[in-house]
Amino acid sequence: MAASKTGSGTLQLSAVLDLNEASVLHGKLTSMRGSDIVIDASAVERVGAQCAQVLVAGKRAWDEDQKSFLVEKASDAFEKTMQLIGIDTNNLVAKEL
Amino acid sequence: MKKKVLTVDDSRTIRNMLLVTLNNAGFETIQAEDGIEGLEVLEGCNPDVIVTDINMPRLDGFGFIEGVRRNEKYRAVPILVLTTESDAEKKNRARQAGATGWIVKPFDPAKLIDAIERVTA
Amino acid sequence: MDMNEIKEIFFQECEEQLAELESGLLKLNDGDRDPETVNAVFRAVHSIKGGAGAFGLDDLVAFAHVFETTLDCVRSNKLEPNHDVLKVMLKSADVLADLVSASRDGGSVDESRTRGLVKELEALAKGELPAGGHEAPKAAPAAPAPKAEAPAPTDDSGFQPIPFTFEGFGDDEEPAIEGATYEITFKPRRELYAKGNEAALLLRDLSRLGEMSINCDMEALPALDKMDPEASYFAWKISLKTTKSEDDIRAVFEFAEWDCELEVKVAEENTSDEELPMTPVPFDLSILDDSAAPAEEEKAAAPAEDPAANAVAAAETATGVAKAVARAAERKEAAAPATPAAAAAAAPQTIRVDLDRVDRLINLVGELVINQAMLSQSVIENDNTGTSSINMGLEELQQLTREIQDSVMAIRAQPVKPVFQRMSRIVREVADMVGKQIRLVTEGENTEVDKTVIDKLAEPLTHMIRNAVDHGIESPEKREAAGKNPEGTIKLSAKHRSGRILIELQDDGAGINRERVRQKAIDNDLIAADANLSDDEIDNLIFMPGFSTADKISDISGRGVGMDVVKRSIQALGGRISISSRPGFGSTFTMSLPLTLAVLDGMVVTVAGQTLVVPLTAIVETLQPETSAIHSFGATQRLISIRNSFCPLVDVGRVLNYRATQANPVEGVALLVESEGGGQRALMVDAIQGQRQVVIKSLEANYTNVPGIAAATILGDGRVALILDVDAVVAASRGQSLKPEMSFAATG
Repeated sequence: MAASKTGSGTLQLSAVLDLNEASVLHGKLTSMRGSDIVIDASAVERVGAQCAQVLVAGKRAWDEDQKSFLVEKASDAFEKTMQLIGIDTNNLVAKEL
Repeated sequence: MKKKVLTVDDSRTIRNMLLVTLNNAGFETIQAEDGIEGLEVLEGCNPDVIVTDINMPRLDGFGFIEGVRRNEKYRAVPILVLTTESDAEKKNRARQAGATGWIVKPFDPAKLIDAIERVTA
Repeated sequence: MDMNEIKEIFFQECEEQLAELESGLLKLNDGDRDPETVNAVFRAVHSIKGGAGAFGLDDLVAFAHVFETTLDCVRSNKLEPNHDVLKVMLKSADVLADLVSASRDGGSVDESRTRGLVKELEALAKGELPAGGHEAPKAAPAAPAPKAEAPAPTDDSGFQPIPFTFEGFGDDEEPAIEGATYEITFKPRRELYAKGNEAALLLRDLSRLGEMSINCDMEALPALDKMDPEASYFAWKISLKTTKSEDDIRAVFEFAEWDCELEVKVAEENTSDEELPMTPVPFDLSILDDSAAPAEEEKAAAPAEDPAANAVAAAETATGVAKAVARAAERKEAAAPATPAAAAAAAPQTIRVDLDRVDRLINLVGELVINQAMLSQSVIENDNTGTSSINMGLEELQQLTREIQDSVMAIRAQPVKPVFQRMSRIVREVADMVGKQIRLVTEGENTEVDKTVIDKLAEPLTHMIRNAVDHGIESPEKREAAGKNPEGTIKLSAKHRSGRILIELQDDGAGINRERVRQKAIDNDLIAADANLSDDEIDNLIFMPGFSTADKISDISGRGVGMDVVKRSIQALGGRISISSRPGFGSTFTMSLPLTLAVLDGMVVTVAGQTLVVPLTAIVETLQPETSAIHSFGATQRLISIRNSFCPLVDVGRVLNYRATQANPVEGVALLVESEGGGQRALMVDAIQGQRQVVIKSLEANYTNVPGIAAATILGDGRVALILDVDAVVAASRGQSLKPEMSFAATG
């Protein structure tokens, strides 16, 4: 619980969001709970489904906490992969068909 | 950005074929001659994909794959098994060891490149 | 590097694998049951098959496949590698070697032999024991061959041939697209990710098959604090409109199908078009898709199961290789400028160097050694104290140069193993031919000697081995009658001894039949009928030139076929050969060879003002002739008496035409040499300058062949000295002199 409970934090996503990164990302998000968060996805080159799972679970947790969870500056790769696997990047929910 | 491929094969012929095929296809290629060397080379070369033979001296492909999957840093790297063994048993063992996919010999550059592209982003 | 160069590497590697194969099989034959030995043998054949497949060498692939299958039975302990089994395997190794040579050099192989062995190998794999090395009986209840197991489900067939599609006809006109809409359910398990597969990539590949709509099922996803980040929670429902078949769709999941739940079915007709509110996902895959998907036709190449189909596939592969490389090359051009250094492979453990370069280095180092010796000599001569620091420095220099010389020589040094291994095949083949049982035992295979020596050793050794098998070892019946093991043994060994390599070839046959040899020699006028010869001298008669040419002495239970040729080849290498034999117990040939042909220990002599070098190996002793020992014989011949025997005197200066008249022997020195045929001659020279190691320079390469001269060398002071060809000089002395127009005097 290193992050402060007030104000907002920015989480810079790594370039490669693979199996290894899933646990790291999960840990970071968990430690930043309680404050508004901005997810900076500008550097992302690869997204695996497991990191997407963590992000979606994060979004749900923030919603529950009634804090804001924003994805900003999504890279093309991030945007496209999320779209490909059926996730709406803005709300991190399943895309409505 | 060039994709980096680590190949592990004890046959000089196949190593050269892999090198030519992969380099021509625009990959960066790092080569090792058996499983032990493969694990040594792995450290610090950070490959996007690994292509390995099964029958090798010192440490065979199964042992090598297990070694990669146990490696904290590289356990997520896709591993393709390059083998003449088309029987299910060999494939099963490779899969159990943690192989991502396989390329059945005789060596066919098109199949190799295709398989690599299937398991890499 | 192009495919031809790789093919060259392949054949080089085949040689290595064949050697590995043979030595492994021989180890097994000797009772070695180390699993690693069996593995190495299996790997050797496997590796040859793998490479051969890539080059479309069908015959080689087919045979290697059968061989490998049988070896696999040994590897999995289904087949005990006893002597009978190994006999078949060793013969198969020979055939494999023949097939490799035929593939490389375009020759043909004995097809009936190959077919016969294929049958024998298959019989072994089926658990039928070989019947005394002959073709296995066609036993009725043939157990299914291990390869004949039912193929695994879809994974084994890999890609299915793709039916003709109408792509390109109606890309922009929807109604024109034939095909169906599939509903796919895909739920990965965590193992899928753990093995390096990725749902996102599978979905990417799926999207390439047609128009895809996707629904991500997130229901199973737990709360953030409850979830395992490496578990799999998402599942997907996909609707895919495609012209491809269900098999094509499943092929996308080829690597993943065990680690996921997958359902593929054709969507109901009536719902597919209007009812479902599915919208195509319009996105650009360019980022994920940085290299073009391979041409569909390549996908059609299905991995083959049986050798015949394998062979066909292999043939197709060969063209596939070329195509793919060409295509890949185009791709590369399009790609960003590649840095060659970055693409370099990890450093190999060996480098291949042109032999010429090594030879040049060896020459130079040899000269360095001589130069250093000269320098030391002149310093010592000019330094009376003998304790100066210059002296110490020179000693260090001497040590260093010697070390450099040894290291450089070591570059050319190779183990005799390959030659020895070739011999074991010859033993097998000749023994088979003449119906004998013979085991070849080798020792000291890793003894190293200069490559040139190895190359030139093979021929005489082959000759001797053939003789040993054909004439040395008796037939099994004779051996049994003599109370010996019906299986004969030939032992081939190598070791280093005092700066030379000693090669021994020993058989436990009947030994030399001295009566017969002696009689043959008398019949051929090689010795006088009443000559008094020791056993050793009789044995050595077989090396005489006239001995074998007389007729085919195939029934002599010693040897004799072409041994003069063998002796000459060994001598040409600066070696000696001798035989010792014990009747009833066998014969031993001993060859002593220099470790290198690049340098030679020589005696530097003066003849008519010229400096010559006589190879030390040829010199038995040196002596100062006294007047009383010289006897004239005929008009020009003179003899010297040495310890109660007479030996012809040869005036080197006269033979080489350095002078017109014979020199006075008493004023010179006689070098007693052993020449071709074992006879001794006394070579007359004017004076001995000393002994020295010299660097051999080929005259043929630098000038032209000169009769009586073997080669040249450069002495420390820069002068050229000729190295005497002792045999040629002795031979020429019989006919007075070498041809006058060929006379040669060193200049320089």
